[in-house]
Amino acid sequence: MLFNSLIFIVFLAVVLALYYAPLLNWKGKKGMLLLASYVFYGLWNPPLVLLLWFSTVVDWVAGKKLAVEENPHRRKGWLVLSMVVNLGFLSFFKYGDFFLKNFTWLVNQIGWDFQPAPLDIILPMGISFYTFQTMSYTIDMYLKRTERARTFLDFALYVTFFPQLVAGPIVRAGDLITQFYEEKKATANQFIWGLFLLTIGLFQKVVLADTLLADAADTVFGAGKLLHPVDAWTGTLAFSGQIFFDFAGYSTCAIGVALMLGIFLPDNFRYPYASLGFSDLWKRWHITLSSWLRDYLYIPLGGNRHGILRMYVALMVTMLLGGLWHGAAWTFIVWGGLHGSYLILERLQRRYLPFKITARNGLFLAFTTFSCVNITWVFFRAREFSTAWDMITSMLWLRTGGEKTLELATIVQVLVVVTAMFLCHWVMRDRSMKEVAAKTSPWVLGLAWGVMLFLIFLSQGSGEQFIYFQF
Amino acid sequence: MSLKQSALIALAVSLASISAWELYWRGQGYWPTLNDDKDLWAVHRARVEEATEKDFVIVGSSRAYFDIQVGAFEAATGRKPIQLSATGSSPLPAFHDIVRNTDFRGTVIMGVTPPLFFSTTFPMAPPWERIQGKVDHYQERTYAQRLNYPLSAFLQQNLVFMSGDEEEWADDIDLKSLLGRIRLGNRTGAPQMPPFYFFGEVSADRNMRMTPQTVTDTALANSVARVWAFFGKGAPPPDKDATMAFFLSDLEAFRARGGSLVLVRCPSNGGFREAEKHVTPRTDFWDDLVAQAQVPAYHFEDYESLKGLTCPEESHLSGPDADYFTQELVRLMQADGAIPNR
Repeated sequence: MLFNSLIFIVFLAVVLALYYAPLLNWKGKKGMLLLASYVFYGLWNPPLVLLLWFSTVVDWVAGKKLAVEENPHRRKGWLVLSMVVNLGFLSFFKYGDFFLKNFTWLVNQIGWDFQPAPLDIILPMGISFYTFQTMSYTIDMYLKRTERARTFLDFALYVTFFPQLVAGPIVRAGDLITQFYEEKKATANQFIWGLFLLTIGLFQKVVLADTLLADAADTVFGAGKLLHPVDAWTGTLAFSGQIFFDFAGYSTCAIGVALMLGIFLPDNFRYPYASLGFSDLWKRWHITLSSWLRDYLYIPLGGNRHGILRMYVALMVTMLLGGLWHGAAWTFIVWGGLHGSYLILERLQRRYLPFKITARNGLFLAFTTFSCVNITWVFFRAREFSTAWDMITSMLWLRTGGEKTLELATIVQVLVVVTAMFLCHWVMRDRSMKEVAAKTSPWVLGLAWGVMLFLIFLSQGSGEQFIYFQF
Repeated sequence: MSLKQSALIALAVSLASISAWELYWRGQGYWPTLNDDKDLWAVHRARVEEATEKDFVIVGSSRAYFDIQVGAFEAATGRKPIQLSATGSSPLPAFHDIVRNTDFRGTVIMGVTPPLFFSTTFPMAPPWERIQGKVDHYQERTYAQRLNYPLSAFLQQNLVFMSGDEEEWADDIDLKSLLGRIRLGNRTGAPQMPPFYFFGEVSADRNMRMTPQTVTDTALANSVARVWAFFGKGAPPPDKDATMAFFLSDLEAFRARGGSLVLVRCPSNGGFREAEKHVTPRTDFWDDLVAQAQVPAYHFEDYESLKGLTCPEESHLSGPDADYFTQELVRLMQADGAIPNR
C-alpha cells in the first residue's frame, strides 16, 4: 500500500480509530497494529508475508537463545543462522538474477557455453530494509548491546511496524521495541505535528518529485542518445531532486504516521544537499542506513583502528556494498565506489590540505559537494554504463553534437525547483523543521500547510510507486 | 507555536481553495468525468476470466471504442460486451493476452484501423506500448490498487478537478498539465503537436461516447483532425509481415479452442481516409487480412447502410451515429450467422 493513495487514507483512518477507541487494551492495540501491518504489506503481494513471518520467527528464536546462551561457539552459531537466513533471502530474491548473469558471463569468457533461463524472481518490497532491521537486532543481541524483546508480539511489531516497513527509516531494536512496552498515545500537538509531517512528505513526493521533476529525469535518462550538456545536466539535477523528495518524502510520511500513534522514529534526512563534504553528506543522507553500515560493516572491518590504509579499504568496501544494497547492478556498485573514492579523497585533503570552513567558503563547498553528488547520481539512475558514459561526457562538455531533448520551460522548471531545494537545504542545514515552525506565526504555518494540501490535490498523482521500494 | 490553530487555518485554506478551484472549472464548462485509465481497463479485463462462450469481447483502437456502443450492442444482442479497446493502440496485444492468458471461447470483435493494426510488433512503439501497458497493469496490479480504484473512480465521477487523464489532454487541469501548457519557444526543434482536446467521455461500463460539443463545434472537431494529421506525418511505414504473422498465430490458437473472431473496419472520412488509402491500401491490407484470416469481416464501405456515415473529426462517429452503426453492425453479423441471434 502506498502512502500516496486513497486507500491508505481509509486504512490510516481505520487504524487510528481502532487505536484511539476505548475498545482494546495496549496488548490488543499492539496486536491490531501488527495485523494492520501485515494487511499493509500483504495488499501488495500476500504470499510474501510468509517471508516476513519466517524472518521474524528466525530472529526471535536467535535473539531468545542469544539472551541466555553463554557458550561462544553456540552464540556464534545462532548469529550465523540469522545472518544466513536474512542474507540468504536477500541474495536469492534481490541478487539471484544478478549473480546468475555474472556467472554466465564469466563462464562464457572461459569458453563454457552456458545459457541458463532467467530466474525472473519477484523482488519482495522492502526486503532490504526489513532484513537489515532484523539483523541489527540479532547482531546487537550477540554483542550484548541490547536487551531481548520482552514478548514475541513486541518483536514482531518491531519487524513489521507498517509506517517504516517497506522503505525505512531502518530502526534499531533499542530505539523501537522499548517504545512498545508502555502504552503510547500521541498528545494533541504530536498528533497534529505528525499530520503536518505526513502532508510535507506527500507534498515532496506527489508535487515536487512526481509532478515537477520526474518527467525531465525520465526523458533524459530514457533518451537513448548523446544529449546536449544542458539537457544532461538538467536531467541529472531533476533526478537529484526527484530521488531526494521521493525518499525523504517517504521517510517524512513514515515519521509523521508513527508520531500520530505516539511512536517516535529517527530522522532519516537532514538537508543533505547542503553538506560540507562527503562525511557530512553521509550524516545527512539516509542516516539510518549509513549508521547501520558504519556500525555493522565499517567498524567490524576495522574502521580507523588499524591504520590509514586499512581504514581506506574498510571505507571503500563499505561503500561498494552500500551501493550493491541499493540495487543488483554494476552501476550501483560504481555509484558506491565513487562515494568511497570521494570519502577517501576528503580524508586525504583533511590530512594534507586542511582549511577552515567559513560562511563564505562553506556555500562554495556545499555547492561543490552537491555537484560531485550529481555525478554519482548518473550511475545510480542510468540502467546501462553506455547511458551513464554518454551522460557524463556530455555533462563535462567532452563531446559535442548532443541532441536537445528538453524544452526551455522544462529546463526553467527543473532549475527553479532544484535551486530552491539547494538554498532551502543551505538555510536549514543547522536548523530543524520543528524549530523553524515554532518560530513561525500560526497563520503563516497554517497558510503554507493549506497551500501544500491544495497543491497535492491539484497534482492528484497517479499513485506512482516510491523509488526506494525497488531497493 | 499553536499547532491547533495552524491546523484549523490549513483546513480552512485547503477547503476554500479546493472549492474555489472546483467551482471555477465548473464555471468554465467542465463537468466531472471518469478517467479512461489502466485501472478501468483492468476492471473490465477481469470480466473476461468469468466470460462464457456466449459473451463478446471488443478489442481494437479508438474507432472500435467510440463506434461500438456498449448499450446499443447489449440491446441488440441481449449481452453486454466487454469493451477492451484502447485509444491509439494496435488490437494485437489485447487479443494476444486473451488468447494466451485466458480460456475465453466466446466471440472477439476486433476493430481494424489499418494504420494501427499493421503498425508494428515492436514493444516500445506507442501503438503497442499503450495497450500492452494496460495488459501488464492487469497482470501485475496489487490488491491495494484494486481497492484503491473504486475510491478514485468515485472522486473522478464527482469532482471536476480530478481530471488527470492518461491521455494527457490539452485541456486537463491537473498541475502537471497546466504547467505543460507553458511554452518558451521551441528549443528542441521538434514538430509541435497541435493541442489535443478532450472529445470523448467514458463511462463505468467502459463505453466511450463522443462529446456533443465535438459534433456541434467545428473548430473543436477540426483541431482533433489536425492531431490525426500530425500523427500520420510522423508515423513509420507499416510492418505488415510481422503484424500479420503475429495475429494469425494467435487466431489459430483461438480458433483451435473454439473461439470466434469477427473483423470490423469502422468508418473514417476526409483527409484521414485518403491518407489511409495511400498508406494502407485496402486491397493490400484489409482484403489480404480477411483472405488470410478466413473469419467474418465487415468493412463499412461494403454496406449501403454504413458507407454514408460521417465522422465529425474524420475518424470517429458521433454518439447517435455510433448507436446506429452498432445496431446495424449487429444486424448484419446476426444475418450472416457471424454471431447468434438473441
